[in-house]
Amino acid sequence: MRRDRAGSAIAARDAGLRRVTRLTWQVAAAGAVCSALIAAAFGHGTSQQSASQRGASQTQTGSTGQTPRSGHQHHGKHRGSGLVIPSQPPAPAPGAGQVTSGGS
Amino acid sequence: MRAAAAPPAVTRETFRVFGTTATLLLSGSAAMPAARELADAELAAVDLACSRFRADSELTRVNSAGGAATDISPLLATLIGEALRAARLTAGDVDPTCAAALAALGYDRDFDEVKARATRGSRGKTASAASTGRGLDAPAGRVPGWRKVELSTDPPRVTLTGGAQLDLGATAKAWAADRCAEVIAAQLGCAVLVSLGGDIAVAGEAPAGGWRVRVTDDHAAGPDAPGQTVAINAGGLATSSTTVRAWESHGRKLHHIIDPATGKPARSIWRTVSVAAGRALDANIVSTACIVRGASAVGWLTEMNLPARLVREDGTTVTTAGWPDDPAPATAKPS
Repeated sequence: MRRDRAGSAIAARDAGLRRVTRLTWQVAAAGAVCSALIAAAFGHGTSQQSASQRGASQTQTGSTGQTPRSGHQHHGKHRGSGLVIPSQPPAPAPGAGQVTSGGS
Repeated sequence: MRAAAAPPAVTRETFRVFGTTATLLLSGSAAMPAARELADAELAAVDLACSRFRADSELTRVNSAGGAATDISPLLATLIGEALRAARLTAGDVDPTCAAALAALGYDRDFDEVKARATRGSRGKTASAASTGRGLDAPAGRVPGWRKVELSTDPPRVTLTGGAQLDLGATAKAWAADRCAEVIAAQLGCAVLVSLGGDIAVAGEAPAGGWRVRVTDDHAAGPDAPGQTVAINAGGLATSSTTVRAWESHGRKLHHIIDPATGKPARSIWRTVSVAAGRALDANIVSTACIVRGASAVGWLTEMNLPARLVREDGTTVTTAGWPDDPAPATAKPS
């Protein structure tokens, strides 16, 4: 009798442990799914915000139109910043300048 | 034995425009009168489009439209578009909506008149407090901001909202230098350097050794003023400084480079910044932004790989991205 009771107690404990383990896995899986969903949602929100900001800028600056005098030659390379860097940096030169660059 | 061919002669012409000094240098046999005629036509068009001090300019009409949409010329649309591009590229550090802030500081007319009025004021003669920059003591606050400018180019039209007023001084002059150099080189087939108040653009095949430019605090200083001489073959070079286009009001020193965050003259660790770029316009956008940014400008320039020379208030210099070492940094500060 006592052995039966001990056996059923062990079985109940094992069943409880299995339930706890299963529950733990389910919670972990649900957490992972939620994390992925949240990450996707925030990532999507960020890119949407950037896109809308860019769109707003285009509207404000009217950059979609053509203007006859906007086609300057650029002597350099465009960087990610949009500024044109020079094809080469200034070189040292001796003596005085032919012209002066200063504040005006 | 034959003598080496002499390098092509360089011809020069200097004249006044936009309240500053313009210089044309031509290499080769191109006729200066023809180059000057081309430059004059471009500069006159830019002045009529965007002078803040001419009653008949398009910009004056835009600024006095009270927020109504205003049809504008393609040229002014381009100039405003470039000013907005400057604001975008500098995260708003170079902002075209600082006209009201400048006017509040007393810079509401041609600069020669501003200086003359400041001089009269300092001698104790009559000068309206409001018109001589008492605005410095007022809580100026952030300028309206470039996002208050709605520009469309087809048809060209602009609307200023939120009380914004435009000043294109930070970009239009350099744009005009690029434009003049491009037009002269293309139409006359020569090498040319155009300097508008120190905003320098070059086009065509440069003379051997490049164009020699003295970088210094004041563009009107002589070719051997304290500073450094460098040579450029293409693109542009521009310098911004707090020491020039500066005036005094009520005992306080003011200058024209506005920090959009405060609406007041930028308080910078740099007195002068020179930048080389693919065009004079971009060089000037960056040099102006560096004055506003202060210490963080060095990292920004390095990140963009833009060669620059930055002069601190004490005359010591910092250079970036391949700008030649400064053999003898200037320490003298202009009075």
